[in-house]
Amino acid sequence: MEHARHVFRVVLVVIVGLAAILIGRGFLVPKSHGIFGAYRADNVAEQMKARLPAHQGAASCTPCHKGKAETRAAGSHKTVSCEVCHAPLLRHVAEGKVTGPMPVDKAFTACARCHRKIQGRPEKFPQVVLEQHVTTKLEGAVCLECHDPHSPKL
Amino acid sequence: MDHAPCTPAPTAPPPPCDAPADAERRGFLKITGGAVALLAGLDAAANTETHAPPPGGDAYNWEEHRWAYVIDTSKCIGCGSCVRACKAENEVPEGFVRTWVERYISGPGGSYVDSPKGGLEGFPPVPTAFTPTKAFFVPKMCNHCKETPCVQVCPVGASYRTKDGVVMVDGKSCIGCGYCVQACPYGSRYLNPVTHTAEKCTWCYHRITKGLKPACVEVCPTSTRIFGNMLREDEPVRQIIDHERVSIMQGHLLTEPQCFYLHLDMEVR
Amino acid sequence: MPEITGYAFPNDIHIHWSLMIVMYPYITGFVAGAFIVSALFHVFGREEFRPVARLAMATSLCFMAVATLPLNLHLGHPERSWLVMVTPNLSSAMAGFGMLYSGYLLILVLEVWFVWRQEIIKYARQSRGLKRTFYAALALGTYDQSPEAVAVDHRAATLLAAIGLPGACMLHGYVGFIFGGIKANPWWSTPLMPVIFLLSAAVSGIALLSILYQVVAKLNRRVIEGRTVAALARWLWFFLILTITLELLEIIMLAYEKSEAWHIISQLLTTRLEFSFITIQMVVGGLIPLILLGVVVLMDKYLHERIRNTLCIASSILLLIQVFSMRWNIVIGGQLLSKSFRGLRSPYSPEVFGREGVLMAIVLVILPFVLLWLFNRVLPIFGDDLPAGGAHHGDPPRAAAGAAAGAAVAEVEPA
Repeated sequence: MEHARHVFRVVLVVIVGLAAILIGRGFLVPKSHGIFGAYRADNVAEQMKARLPAHQGAASCTPCHKGKAETRAAGSHKTVSCEVCHAPLLRHVAEGKVTGPMPVDKAFTACARCHRKIQGRPEKFPQVVLEQHVTTKLEGAVCLECHDPHSPKL
Repeated sequence: MDHAPCTPAPTAPPPPCDAPADAERRGFLKITGGAVALLAGLDAAANTETHAPPPGGDAYNWEEHRWAYVIDTSKCIGCGSCVRACKAENEVPEGFVRTWVERYISGPGGSYVDSPKGGLEGFPPVPTAFTPTKAFFVPKMCNHCKETPCVQVCPVGASYRTKDGVVMVDGKSCIGCGYCVQACPYGSRYLNPVTHTAEKCTWCYHRITKGLKPACVEVCPTSTRIFGNMLREDEPVRQIIDHERVSIMQGHLLTEPQCFYLHLDMEVR
Repeated sequence: MPEITGYAFPNDIHIHWSLMIVMYPYITGFVAGAFIVSALFHVFGREEFRPVARLAMATSLCFMAVATLPLNLHLGHPERSWLVMVTPNLSSAMAGFGMLYSGYLLILVLEVWFVWRQEIIKYARQSRGLKRTFYAALALGTYDQSPEAVAVDHRAATLLAAIGLPGACMLHGYVGFIFGGIKANPWWSTPLMPVIFLLSAAVSGIALLSILYQVVAKLNRRVIEGRTVAALARWLWFFLILTITLELLEIIMLAYEKSEAWHIISQLLTTRLEFSFITIQMVVGGLIPLILLGVVVLMDKYLHERIRNTLCIASSILLLIQVFSMRWNIVIGGQLLSKSFRGLRSPYSPEVFGREGVLMAIVLVILPFVLLWLFNRVLPIFGDDLPAGGAHHGDPPRAAAGAAAGAAVAEVEPA
């Protein structure tokens, strides 16, 4: 065995190296890693707080816009959330305070997304061939000349 | 394709909590036992058994929720409101989507599928080379699979599935290798060109843990999209999944999706 | 607007796994292939491989040293790559990388140490100053050169080669596994994938050594051993037959089974991959070397030495191209088909400059040869024990690296 001294030395070097790596690894593992599984548990709470909810639903508009809300609730657009045609509430209100004007898409293309006749929509859903339905020029807020978007039935 | 749904598994009771959280001991174990654990491959398994308080504090207990999603394709009008709402809610980068709507037009002579920009701006009429006999929309998104291939392949544990059944990506751990993007059979993931990490639908985890619905569900005008807690018997999702004939996407891959479809056509994959 | 055929899922736009992910299996293929050659001598005692055994081992180590580079160049967050070692997700095949890579690297370094130990001791004794310290440290302070110690070295080297062979196979089989284990992708998902990767690694390794051996011998004015060239050609032919057979079988199987993805894969092969798969991988890189090597192996006695050597070099170059195109067709091809199975993504062409560009790929191929040159400066690859036309001990072939690298650059171009 005396001629295998170099083998023992190299094995020792390897063992020391491995031990250093493994101990070093212990310090590098993120704090909450592995609590619930092979992931960083802290991220769950981080995801909860990742951002403020932007959409708040139709009910959140009612306190300030009672009239419009009632019109909408009585009409055929009662299932269409305000934020579909307007914008997410967060653009307009943050922490209970109005932060800016609420954008709204009044263009005929907004109406067309739901009501233009295309292949794919359920038969019973109200839809029109735009070019036949609109006799004037097909541009801008042409739909709103006749229809009230909050209660579109004429 | 046979999409016979499995009976939703009865809700598993939370594991008995017989040892209090002992962070100090865990820290010690991590350093000294790290070596052994790494070699023995017990790291994740050993640590899963520890009992830490669930994240979220008192406001939300993930043990009391198991989220599921139902999509009734017969109701979808292809307006794309969900796609726009998701983009606005989650700051989804240009060119990518976390949820999208596909349109299928088919007839005896052929079939045509499209999803311009994922349906972000709705759909135009299209000429088809064949005479279509049926056409419908199919909203799609991450299926939040139980046996999720994307979490399986993540080399660093940046992708994970929470106890309440949501598959998420830890953007601080993700190394941006893209393996999960390759592994997802549904095309639900993308690499964010700005952060260079993988991203995907989180079922709006920042909303659902505050009692709100995911943004796509919130804005859907036709109730095509339904979301709820499977642990509550009175929830519509539970009612539908328990009693209706539902399908899942690519059932043969055995990923156990938690998005269930009503009135799904065989053309859809 | 990217050109998309049929219907692709909206997120299926970009090729995430770029040229760098093509380079990665290409480079690790050389690691495994070269190791197989050295093992043929060290483990299986094939004497005809003695002249290339040390060259093969050094080549394997030098390619190993750059194997992680393409991966880090590709990662979105290379500064976090250490997480693969620190928090490996054990259900992920990719998490095995850290352990396989470091384990194999360790074996390789140890084997190199045992094989070169006599030289290390000699230099530690001969040199002065810093150089002496360096070699003494390398020798770990023991200068035992007794016949018994040399016998121990031999045994250790053989043992390590015997462990290293499955290690090399695992390392490269694992690369194939990364792709073969993706059930979402029918072009990748087959148990044949690791085998195909491994066999083509053997092809690329032997082909590289065929070239390297002749080039280095020429530069050192050594005799090119006929039986070594012939043996390399024989093994190359053998592995080529296996790899082409399996590559074809995989596709024939898909077509014969009429699997649900076949209509999109057949489209892929006849459109986007027509040139790189049919022309390059199968005909130019497959059929032609098969015939050339067949001539070398079957008609060896009738061939003039120079013709044989030239045929070997020519077919080796073609095979290096073949293996590259095979990596390309798997990695890029698999991403060209959308998971909708209804369409293909727009064709991919790598950027020229930049982190994942063509220039970087060329650098990655040259780098191992530079390392090999450096290695040879520190630990001469050709010792005195070799039958040589003129022993040029301690006179490292400066031009070798340059010339070899030059040849390698030419080989990358089919991209």
